[in-house]
Amino acid sequence: MLSRHADAAFWIGRYIERAEATARMIDVHYHFGLESPALGEALRWSSILAISGQEKLYRKLYSTEDERNILHFFGFDERNTSSIFSAIRLARENGRSIRDQISSEMWKCLNQMYLEFLEWDVDRVLTGSPFTFFEKVKESSQLFQGVANRTLMMGETRDFHDAGRFLERADQTARILDVKYHDLLPSFAPGGPLIPTEAGSVGGPVDVHGWIAVLKSVGAYEAFRKTYHEGVTPARVAQFLLLNPKFPASVRHSVGRVEGCVRRVSGNRDLAPINDAEREIGRLYNELNYMRAEDIISGGLHEFLEDVQERCNTIGEAIYKCYLSY
Amino acid sequence: MNEKHVQIHNSGLFDGYDIGSFYDEMFDANGPRPHYANLCRTLGNLTASEFRARCELADLTLISQGITFTVYGDNRGVEKPFPIDLVPRIIPPDEWRHVEKGLAQRVRALNLFLHDVYHEGKILKDGVVPRELIVNAPNFRRSFIGADVPGDIYVHICGTDLIRDADGTYRVLEDNCRTPSGVSYMLENRIILMRMFPSLFGENRVLPNDTYTAHLLHNLRELAPPGRDEPNVVLLTPGVFNSAYFEHSFLAQQMGIELVEGRDLFVEDNIVYMKTTRGPKRVDVVYRRVDDDFLDPLVFRPDSVLGVPGLVNAHRTGNVSLANGIGTGVADDKAVYPYVPAMIRYYLDQEPILEQVETYMGWKPDDLEYICENASKLVIKATNESGGYGMLMGPQSTQAEIEEFVVKVRANPRGFIGQPLISLSRSPCFFDSGFEGRHVDLRPYILCGKDDVTIVPGGLTRVALRKGSYVVNSSQGGGSKDTWVLGETPAEAMRQTQTMGEMSQSQTMGKVEFPTRTGGNQ
Repeated sequence: MLSRHADAAFWIGRYIERAEATARMIDVHYHFGLESPALGEALRWSSILAISGQEKLYRKLYSTEDERNILHFFGFDERNTSSIFSAIRLARENGRSIRDQISSEMWKCLNQMYLEFLEWDVDRVLTGSPFTFFEKVKESSQLFQGVANRTLMMGETRDFHDAGRFLERADQTARILDVKYHDLLPSFAPGGPLIPTEAGSVGGPVDVHGWIAVLKSVGAYEAFRKTYHEGVTPARVAQFLLLNPKFPASVRHSVGRVEGCVRRVSGNRDLAPINDAEREIGRLYNELNYMRAEDIISGGLHEFLEDVQERCNTIGEAIYKCYLSY
Repeated sequence: MNEKHVQIHNSGLFDGYDIGSFYDEMFDANGPRPHYANLCRTLGNLTASEFRARCELADLTLISQGITFTVYGDNRGVEKPFPIDLVPRIIPPDEWRHVEKGLAQRVRALNLFLHDVYHEGKILKDGVVPRELIVNAPNFRRSFIGADVPGDIYVHICGTDLIRDADGTYRVLEDNCRTPSGVSYMLENRIILMRMFPSLFGENRVLPNDTYTAHLLHNLRELAPPGRDEPNVVLLTPGVFNSAYFEHSFLAQQMGIELVEGRDLFVEDNIVYMKTTRGPKRVDVVYRRVDDDFLDPLVFRPDSVLGVPGLVNAHRTGNVSLANGIGTGVADDKAVYPYVPAMIRYYLDQEPILEQVETYMGWKPDDLEYICENASKLVIKATNESGGYGMLMGPQSTQAEIEEFVVKVRANPRGFIGQPLISLSRSPCFFDSGFEGRHVDLRPYILCGKDDVTIVPGGLTRVALRKGSYVVNSSQGGGSKDTWVLGETPAEAMRQTQTMGEMSQSQTMGKVEFPTRTGGNQ
């Protein structure tokens, strides 16, 4: 297929996943904040800004950190290329440029998502229930992914789309975990050892509530409960979201899916990679496969999460160089 | 102009519809024309609110599917749906046979003309068409003289605009031999109408038009250079910002070919390649929707970023075919149009089947004087503009506008023609206030293959939706209608009913009956 088409498919996958993940992240943060009045408004939002990598831009555009501004910035601000609106708009633009490659049902879905979104703004979110809005974004994303699953041919377009979608998902799961880690362990300097305790400040009721919120934000709470019957501890949450091979939004599973896509494109069945994309993905995937939760914790969860995000970037660049540049 | 009032009675929802002093496609003074009788009965039985509900549903479908065109010079909401009016335009079989024959004759002559002017130029030597008119034409591609194209065909796809005058006579208004657009709307309109009014297709024998893309792909594949058995055919688009982008992607999708932009292609050793995830892949045929001027910066406009450097030379050496060919703009030049009947006589030794519109040519001194003196009665058109740009509708313009335009004409006489304002036929269109007559034209799409000319029944009927307007272009407030050609025998008609489950499905296309598949579920 044309490199330009592959590029567009890859980015449709990324943008739709990004819209959903951003909605999930803001949603969980918003509702967690409602139940933790002690946190105070500024604290509620600072971590999300810090981890999003958009803090600088935000400070340039807004003077205060309040609910309205934050929701506008992450939801609707076109100046923020990672806002939900930007992601949906860009996904649709990419879809328009390859509407002959994707199924017409996929295009229709992207187009409708965009048109419906034009009718939302931050006032409507705040006057109604923000929950409804976040649900809407999640459902639109899932509708699109379902339609894609059902109608897109097994082939390169699909593989590049899925590679983009799962690479974004790996990155976003790491990000959401990082945000909450930042929130829930303010007394630990980033990089300090994470010591789950039986009682006391870490692992107390607020913490348990917070970690449950993290799980819920990626739709993992029930799956987590089925896997670990007791004890929502930070270590277990991290282990589940990073290393669980069966949970569809875990970093390990997502990276494995990216590898599957890229390997299908090249047809390479050997262990050894044949290009940098395969090398970078394989390396991360294998590390995740062989890693234990203790290894992550002793090295520092935040450091590990940062490393995962950087490597996702490297993987994206390698895929671009091998296949997508035109 | 619109002084006479002839109102329709006993036709339900159409009651009170005013034919005025025009040729109306659907009605004459006695009621619906015979080929509209079924339609009139069915639609007439609806209430206004039922009809309106269908219009709204149709609009919603267009918007959600992104069936839009791009309006230039407008920032937000640059994509607009091309309005469809749900009353179809119907052409009876005998009328269509006449039109079909006339168009095929015409496009054959145009192709012979193009081959001639790019080779010996016999028609110029014989003085049938003035030499200076051709060699000075802005779209005459000197660099292409002597180049051979597969099957000597230059115009593979032609969109010829037909109008009907006050007597209902079909006349050719212009040919579009470069990159005619609109065929996707023809196909989409049919799909919309079948969804909104399925029962109409049971009551009328409407010939199918959905074989268009199959014919087009067949013809494009035939153009492949010798020895390229599985040719790689691509559609070259200027990109998402082009007004016809929807159509480009639609056609590429329907034909299953790659939709490429200039930046996806490159030329090496006179061979065209596209950049794929698996490296370069050779391209054999380019259905290009990019104008000559932008096709190749090495040959035409050097500032073009839409084209492919080296494409024209690759084409000249025969390694890649282009549809339409280069330099076809000399055949649809409005200053050349008056000579098409002469071409038909010259090359085919036949009398033209279709009438034209009387035309005054700016480059002839006598005609120029006539144009300037009678500007208020004429339609004056720039010879190389399209899309309804660069024209003056004399009878509907102010004195100041006319004077300003006449100055332009005098400054560049070769660049203008004048024609009497034809009182275009009208067709009922639905508005909030009920049905009103609006002027329509007809653009059939003519496909020229190696051996034959194919015209799928019908074409795009464009409507000037603004009251009193004669300009049907989408960029100027035009809309469109589904266009039906009725079949004569049941075998010709499309079977609209498809039974489900273990029943069978039968399809008829044109005159060929395809075997019925039985055993269902396939």
